[in-house]
Amino acid sequence: MDYMLTVTDLSKKYGKQEAVSNLSFQLQGGEVVGLLGPNGAGKSTTMKCIVGLLRKTSGEIRIGGYDHLSVGAKRLFSYIPETPYVYDLLTIWEHMQFIAQAYGVREWKTRALELLELYELDDKQKKLGRDLSKGMRQKVSICCALLPDPQLLFFDEPMIGLDPKAIKNTKNLFKTLKDQGKTILVSTHLIEGIEAIADRIMIMKEGQIIGNDTIENLKKQAATGIGLSLEDLFLEMTKDA
Amino acid sequence: MHEVYLLLKKDLRILGNNLLLILRNPLRLIPYGLALAYFLFMYSRGVSGSEGTSAEVDMDTVGEVDVALQNIIGVLTVLALAYFLFQLYRASKKNITFFKMADVNLLFPAPVKPANILLYYMGRSFLPSLGGSLFFLIYSGGQLAKDFDLDFFGAVFLVLGFTFYFFLIFPLRFLIYTLNTRFQILEVLRLGIFIVGLGMALVVIIPGLMAEKFWEGIFAWVASPWFDLVPIVGWSKGMMSYFVTGNWILSSSYLLLYILTYFTVVKLVIRFSGYYYEDVLDATQSNEDRLEKAKGKKEITEDTYSLNSKKQLALPEFGLGAKAIYWRNYVQSSRQDFHPLFGIYSMGMVFLGIVFAGLSHFEWFAHQIFYIYLIFLLFFYFMAGFGRATIGDLKKPWFILIPASWSSKFWNMIKLDLLQTLLFSLVLIVPSVFLAQFHWGLILFFPLGMIFSYLIGLGLNLIPQIGLDEGWDRILIKPLMIGGISLFGLLPSLFIAILFFAITKQFVYGLAVGVLGLGAVAGLLLHVSLDILKRLEFKEL
Repeated sequence: MDYMLTVTDLSKKYGKQEAVSNLSFQLQGGEVVGLLGPNGAGKSTTMKCIVGLLRKTSGEIRIGGYDHLSVGAKRLFSYIPETPYVYDLLTIWEHMQFIAQAYGVREWKTRALELLELYELDDKQKKLGRDLSKGMRQKVSICCALLPDPQLLFFDEPMIGLDPKAIKNTKNLFKTLKDQGKTILVSTHLIEGIEAIADRIMIMKEGQIIGNDTIENLKKQAATGIGLSLEDLFLEMTKDA
Repeated sequence: MHEVYLLLKKDLRILGNNLLLILRNPLRLIPYGLALAYFLFMYSRGVSGSEGTSAEVDMDTVGEVDVALQNIIGVLTVLALAYFLFQLYRASKKNITFFKMADVNLLFPAPVKPANILLYYMGRSFLPSLGGSLFFLIYSGGQLAKDFDLDFFGAVFLVLGFTFYFFLIFPLRFLIYTLNTRFQILEVLRLGIFIVGLGMALVVIIPGLMAEKFWEGIFAWVASPWFDLVPIVGWSKGMMSYFVTGNWILSSSYLLLYILTYFTVVKLVIRFSGYYYEDVLDATQSNEDRLEKAKGKKEITEDTYSLNSKKQLALPEFGLGAKAIYWRNYVQSSRQDFHPLFGIYSMGMVFLGIVFAGLSHFEWFAHQIFYIYLIFLLFFYFMAGFGRATIGDLKKPWFILIPASWSSKFWNMIKLDLLQTLLFSLVLIVPSVFLAQFHWGLILFFPLGMIFSYLIGLGLNLIPQIGLDEGWDRILIKPLMIGGISLFGLLPSLFIAILFFAITKQFVYGLAVGVLGLGAVAGLLLHVSLDILKRLEFKEL
């Protein structure tokens, strides 16, 4: 089977400390997968290794068949980081233009306007990055990631700092992207935000995946699975962390 | 080279937006205007001055000028060499970065070639070095024009000498760091840097040992044309000495050497850095944090000064309510130093004071130095109070939320500082007075002066901080306020203190009168501070 993302025996060490240990998983095209785990479980490190911000200590990562560091792979994915940094002296519109140029998107203006409208940034197009609140920077970051219309999206805690309306928009966006056949990996603490749309959940603890299945199957696997919510299940599986 | 075009376009856009911001608020041009005016003034003064003084220089003092010049060049070159080696050593510990966090988030995951991005940003780092060098030229241009007839080419080589020196440090540091992360050869690199440092030190020191006078020997060698062959520092010196030698072929040769070295280093960086994104993450993040703190976006926290955050403490009990603020300060202070009431730095300052007092016994040591030291400490604690208003409790929501009166919260906020100040002053002044047999009145007035200075600094910053809205109100009114209090409160105290000192010839009387004046100002500011504290609001940065 052709996977959109294949991670094989991924390990990441900081000095002697192993943050991620022999991690292996795959994402099929069109799949939405939630990456859950307590603080320090290694979720962000895993995601940063995949997108190439951190150097993997060992293992293999392939995106759409390409090595994850190749330009070919990078054309396929976008990454929304946990802390949104933007250029202080570029306007919101100029950020969109910059991303369009970087990803080689030719007809970008209509899509950029649609995205800015969706996130209620259309009337703030001329605002400079330095004048944006954290929530607005997060919205810009999401719009920038969606502009190239990537096949695979990595969201690292995407709802932190967003207002309720933007959170709802993001959840709706996940649904829309899923309907469009996009592959999504979401690392999040907001379990209820992912429960409704995730095809599969991966639960990480101490750098390893301790659960990787559909929500229903994970509930069955847990000893007291009947009647558990995803939150209960998550707490049950990570209780010693 | 799609990346170069992309980044150039982005940077031009940023430049355009910056210019627009300046046009919208031309007041931002004031510092630049002042710098330009200073340069023109100094330059015109220098040029006119040189016409009058050239004859004097030509006559008898040529030899002396050469020695002075040689010493200046020698000192500057040795300093440049030390700084260069220090920078190389730092590269084995921490990387430098050419990037911003926005690059990390938006550019690094994009389908671009890492090598091309690095190439662009490394090349672009020439601009800050050039800017710094031009600033130096502006600052010193007038003086140089006066002493050395600085012409156009002289200025060009001077600027390039400085620029290339600073410019080449960045790629070299980047190369050292990436060699370390790529091949895990930290110890080898450190050893290499140590050997280079030792070699350089010997090259500089041996001629000094062989000469009659050590320093003159060193400076004579360092300032000689042979030293220009030493890479980087020597090349810069050789290039810049155009305005003394007028030899453009020699200066151009050093420039060529620099350019060749730069391309070699860049080639090596590109070859060895590989996928360097992780190597620059920490440095980029810490630069961003520093920048945000400087801009005020991110709060400057006490953690910045923390020495031992993992220290295990036996936590004391001080009571309930506002005393929680004192307790927190006590814990914070315990973590910062070996004892909550005495810090390592303050003990160092006490030691220095006592040494000055002890030396006052000797005829060759002027006891006035001790008095000057006391005055310096008064100013130092004024600045400490000034800084206290911008960090710590006032920036925390609990200061507003704790159910206690504003005055008790305020006192508990500064109680530890006052205690520390009092103890510091006593530990310094009591032994000093007995050791050097100074007037006993110092034991009373110096600690009081220290506390008043601290309170004045605190009040002076706290009142506009809380009372005035952020923005132009604060920017414009705060200096006026400080100026007013200085003019009508501090300067009269100082004036009367100097007058008393002049009449009585006794430092202690001058200090006593000055402290009385400071006390009056501190009392007034304290009264206003307590009154204005109710208006404190919490701003999440």
